[in-house]
Amino acid sequence: MSNHTRSTDNNRPGQHRSIRDELEKRAWVQNPDLANRLNNRLEGGKRHYDGSRRIMRWQDRILLTLGFALLVLLVIRAETAIGDDQVWGLQLNNDSGVYTELAINTGIQLDITGLVSRVEITQSFTNHGSHWAEGIYRFPLPEGAAVDRMRIKVGERVLEGEIQEKETARQTYQNARDAGQTATIVEQQRRNQFETRLANIGPGESIEITIAYLQNVSYSDFSYHLRLPMTFTPRWEPGQQTAGGQLNTTLQTPYLIPSFSSNGHGLTLQANLVSAVEFAAIESRYHDVDIRQVENGYQIELLNPDEISDRDFVLSWTPTLQSHPSVSLTTFNDGDSVYAQLMLAPPLADSISPQAREIILIIDTSGSMEGASLDQARAALLHALNSLGPDDYFNLLQFNSETERLFDQSITVTPTSLYNAQNFISRLKANGGTNMAPALKMALEMPEIPKLMRQVVFITDGAVGNEAELLQKVAQNLGKSRMFTVAIGHAPNSWFMRKTAEIGRGSFVHIAKPDEVETQMSALWGRIQLPALTDICVNWGDTAEYFPEVIPDLYAGEPLWLLARLPAEPTMIGLCGELNDRNWELNVNGWDAASSGAGGDNLAKLWARKKIEALEDGLMFGADPELTQLEITGLALDYGLLTRYTSMVAVDRTPRRDGGESLAVSEIPGLLPTGSSAQLAGYPSTATGWVAQLILSVFVLLLATCMLLFSGSRLPMTPIIAKT
Amino acid sequence: MAKNPLDMPKRHWVLAVMSLIAASFLLDALWIPVKAELAQHLLERSWLRTLAGEPDAKPWPWADTRAVAILEVPRLGLREIVLEGSSGRNLAFGPTLLNTTQLDQSADRILSGHRDTHFSFLKELQTGDLVRLRTVKEIRDYRVSWQEAVDSRTQQLVIDDSVERLTLLTCYPFNATTAGGPLRWVVTALPES
Repeated sequence: MSNHTRSTDNNRPGQHRSIRDELEKRAWVQNPDLANRLNNRLEGGKRHYDGSRRIMRWQDRILLTLGFALLVLLVIRAETAIGDDQVWGLQLNNDSGVYTELAINTGIQLDITGLVSRVEITQSFTNHGSHWAEGIYRFPLPEGAAVDRMRIKVGERVLEGEIQEKETARQTYQNARDAGQTATIVEQQRRNQFETRLANIGPGESIEITIAYLQNVSYSDFSYHLRLPMTFTPRWEPGQQTAGGQLNTTLQTPYLIPSFSSNGHGLTLQANLVSAVEFAAIESRYHDVDIRQVENGYQIELLNPDEISDRDFVLSWTPTLQSHPSVSLTTFNDGDSVYAQLMLAPPLADSISPQAREIILIIDTSGSMEGASLDQARAALLHALNSLGPDDYFNLLQFNSETERLFDQSITVTPTSLYNAQNFISRLKANGGTNMAPALKMALEMPEIPKLMRQVVFITDGAVGNEAELLQKVAQNLGKSRMFTVAIGHAPNSWFMRKTAEIGRGSFVHIAKPDEVETQMSALWGRIQLPALTDICVNWGDTAEYFPEVIPDLYAGEPLWLLARLPAEPTMIGLCGELNDRNWELNVNGWDAASSGAGGDNLAKLWARKKIEALEDGLMFGADPELTQLEITGLALDYGLLTRYTSMVAVDRTPRRDGGESLAVSEIPGLLPTGSSAQLAGYPSTATGWVAQLILSVFVLLLATCMLLFSGSRLPMTPIIAKT
Repeated sequence: MAKNPLDMPKRHWVLAVMSLIAASFLLDALWIPVKAELAQHLLERSWLRTLAGEPDAKPWPWADTRAVAILEVPRLGLREIVLEGSSGRNLAFGPTLLNTTQLDQSADRILSGHRDTHFSFLKELQTGDLVRLRTVKEIRDYRVSWQEAVDSRTQQLVIDDSVERLTLLTCYPFNATTAGGPLRWVVTALPES
């Protein structure tokens, strides 16, 4: 009884007395009937302990688990410590860990004919490092730019890029990149943000990528303007509201550095302004330029050879104006369809007689307007009241959950009515929900004042959920009224506001800060008090697809620009409208149309770009996303345009980088705009991880305690065949 | 068989050592929230001294930071003292001001805090909540207007003093086990008036 014999196969050479052996021995001492218990237990499968094939026993497993848990604890601790000292800032993705030095310089060639400008941007990537490199560069293009061409110049070879569906293009690029071929891809990331990737730039090598696009020239204050964005303004742009906590990964702010730390970012620019007539003035707003008059127009060049791309380039030119609306028609026939561009230029402001109008001001006093927004809205309302003319009629409406109007119907401007209005404005309080539809309905259905044009000025932050329904309401009830929207605050629902104005045949302004009330409201007022030509209709003939779909009025200082696709050459295009209270009609003979000449397909591409924009807008009205994507992709491939679903890719088939050599990837930063007060910083580390550490250490402690408590009185660690 | 006290099994020694290490980790982990809470009390007194006009009231003699403001969220009954400078060390004691200029001269104010100590309340914050910042000179009310998650590897913070706002930053996701992740939760509040 005193001597329990242990199974012989437990004898190992060296006879190490392990803890296990020790514990086991004690167990035998303390539990005399152990052998029986064990035998019972081992009835099922007789596992023999074999020195050469050791099976881990449960105590060992727990010990190992404990050891592992402790290791994890150490790692957590170490990571927290690293987190504390982490250097803030952007990490460049550099998959080989090699430092690369890539520089970028930009050259721009502009050709402006009429209202269309052809822009070619050449980005030259130079690799100053000693390794093969892939460069990523994010750059801005104007919203609505029709990007249709891309080419890459490697040494003496020039390769044209092609348009491909986004995923296919990525695959093409990736394959070429991995095969060591020089390849490039241009993608659209946001409406105005694009990205170039260029793979396999040899050490010391320069590669040029040229991206070409079409851009409309804008017209305001009696001048034409062309703005080429050069850099991004780092400003607060809220992304998608991520209430559910999902990360919005598509929103990527470009990486920007101040100009003093740049090694490159040089800018050269040359512009040809084609014109048969002389301009009253040509001006570059932010750059010193040399302007030369040549045979067919003007040539413009940057004066400073060391210019860098840290501010937008803006060119303005002023034509001599006529005193009646002028119309010009340009067409292009591609064999299948005819693309037509119709431009309506307003007459001089002096030749337009100001008309008395009925102004209905609607103010949103829902809860979201509380604070600064309501103050700005009040200021905007007072500004509007002060701008009323002696013959104007006006009314005031406020809405939150309820709608309230000041007068039953619009009344003339008198000291009493003004006093009442000011009183009404000072009593406004932001509270309750945003029930916009009844207010819109009330304003649009108010009894009309004979012979007066009704202009509804709508002041809100646009925080609504039923945009599509509201827009339909506006479209249905608009009648002879016009809607003008004033967006308030830093993050209004701009899309909804702009759309409301578009459908309401009016215009849209945004007041972000209190000090902008004056300028923005004056701008709006200046625009809307001189309607030159109203209720414009254009009879293109059957089955024309034209943009904009709702034709706004023609105001002083703002021309109208329409694009259409027609089944055949137009014979006669009928225009009608109201000019100074009289009917106005004009027939444009299709034979008079100017042919768009060499760059003719420009019209087709611009039309397709408008159509894509309209399709994108349709998404907000509940259009099927997959169908829309298919439609846009189809159009983009047909017309060769870069969109959010299609990219440009170019590959030089000659493999250049050997598989053995590594490729260093780096993002080339853009420049911070000059004069920007903004600074950029990385995000600090803001977690200690103490909860995880606590849970894990409690776990280890509990397990260890359990083992200490039970190992002494429980089973031995080795399955033993007892010989009794 | 005679019992020898020194003949204690080796496994028990290993277990004992492990328990000791685990216990020290446990204390170390507990010390983080305790320190975070304790520091706030010490800071309370230095804040009172700051209000009384002491120019550089240090919360403790060897501190290299000072209390610059009080952050309040009335709906959650929260009140915390904000420190100057977003270093890892300061973050252990309270929410910190990521500053380039003095708080009273800046319009665009950015506060960061640990997601598992002082800024754990950010997950309960809702759009429209009132957030109050008391500085030595003024009391400023903000309303939460945007909340979003960003990736710190691809995005930068924009500090733009031409915009008046208060940004609260912390790590994301809130219940991640380990520290040092790339995501951040950004709450933007705009001034009331």
